[in-house]
Amino acid sequence: MTENVHVISAAMIPFAKYRTSSYVGLAVPPLIDALRSAGVDKSEVDAVYVGHSYGGMMTGQRICKEIGLGDVPTVNVDNACSSGATAIHEASTAIAQGLIDIAVVIGVEKLTQFGGGALPLSPEDREVKQGIIMPAVYAMRATRYLYETEATAEDLALVSVKARKHGALNPFAQFRKEVTVEEVLASRAVADPLTLLMCCPTGDGAAVVVLASERARKRLGTSGGMRIAASVLHSGHVEEGFRDMTRPEISSRSAQDAYAQAGIEPKDLDMIELHDAFSIAELVYYEAFGLAERGHAADLIRDGKTTFGGSVVVNPSGGLLAKGHPVGASGVAQVAEAFWQLSGQAGDRQVDDARWAMTHVTGGGTAGLDHGACTIHIFEAA
Amino acid sequence: MKTETAAKASAAIADMENDDLLSAFPEGPRLLGTRCGDCGREMIGTRVVCSSCVSSNVGTIALPTTGTLYSFTRLHVGGEGIRPLGYVDLDNDVRTLADIREGDTPLEPGIRVELGVDGENWFFAREASETKGHHHD
Repeated sequence: MTENVHVISAAMIPFAKYRTSSYVGLAVPPLIDALRSAGVDKSEVDAVYVGHSYGGMMTGQRICKEIGLGDVPTVNVDNACSSGATAIHEASTAIAQGLIDIAVVIGVEKLTQFGGGALPLSPEDREVKQGIIMPAVYAMRATRYLYETEATAEDLALVSVKARKHGALNPFAQFRKEVTVEEVLASRAVADPLTLLMCCPTGDGAAVVVLASERARKRLGTSGGMRIAASVLHSGHVEEGFRDMTRPEISSRSAQDAYAQAGIEPKDLDMIELHDAFSIAELVYYEAFGLAERGHAADLIRDGKTTFGGSVVVNPSGGLLAKGHPVGASGVAQVAEAFWQLSGQAGDRQVDDARWAMTHVTGGGTAGLDHGACTIHIFEAA
Repeated sequence: MKTETAAKASAAIADMENDDLLSAFPEGPRLLGTRCGDCGREMIGTRVVCSSCVSSNVGTIALPTTGTLYSFTRLHVGGEGIRPLGYVDLDNDVRTLADIREGDTPLEPGIRVELGVDGENWFFAREASETKGHHHD
């Protein structure tokens, strides 16, 4: 990074099912709140980046025109579950390069438009034609991980239990009720060994963050917030033959690059918001991020190392499993959570003395790829 | 004025014309694959370019009928009943998603499987001669 980039405000609506709200209806309120909270007038915004996957044409412009925010470039970004974080990456890169000073990033998605069920994937994809859906992909990761390691279905359930425990503390979470291991295991089978409570829900949501250069931050007289210490985006690489589904290369590579950019090690992190779309993902990512040795991710969840009071709090927001996962909004919502945590505004779910945070989203079911896109950010309290 | 060289148009691929993976070969019904004539990489489906070396010197092949089950799930949503689905690593190191037919013995990763054809549908099932699993670790 050539210039320091800061997150100076964050706003979001609680993730939920908003059947009577459009993309505009979901996103305009946090857009207004984030600008106000940043003390930024719409005339000071240099560019708008909007992450969404199913919003249709000109989603960003449809939102921004409602508050008369126009003229400046509006970039609509689709990278499946990484859409929102990719938008942040693009905004951050533009500021770091000195091209712009203030950027607004919106992540928004309305999944209730599909009436429930698994996420619609591209009908042009070979495996989608064969009937693949995301729960099946993660379920096959889980089958193989349980086969290769000592981890059990109970460990998969423990991930959901922790997510729900955290979500119960988070007023922004879609699910605020705690669950037990027994309840998770007894819930409806979705794709063996994954049960319903091991899968993130469908829902709607919007989150907005305002990014600013050091110069703009000084001009605005902003204090606190957080500095973007690393911003990494990678695409999946095709593998025609054998692929180890329990070692997600795209997430490992992104994490290594992010640690190098930030100049920190995994043990320095106080909190992580990671892509727990299905409970197996959290275990696999503990290893990909260097938090656990190969095959030993379950030890962390069994020993409570990744909840409040542990060595690194993973998904203090409740994660995708409890907070919810309106695809394009998730990456921005993770950064909003990091912002609140690092600036001491996280209420009942505050991570003690949080200084370093990492956010991670990876998305897209595409034949031959582990994931289509992976975005990782690391933040330091300013 | 006529230039010495003129820009050539790229040609679209009619990849939606026939996207069935199962095809009739002299040896019987097989999954369609593509082999790169330059680097030798074999791939699932019909391709016009090698994803490894970007060569257009590619040709259609019949994929092996046997392989190892890498992983699987029994899908309870998105259709009627339970649908076992898995990734099969064919013996030429090409991975394919496939319906998996369950037999009397429960499925497990690492077992040897073979192609079965039932009308227009195809699937993989435990190899008839399979006695113990071969683990691809």
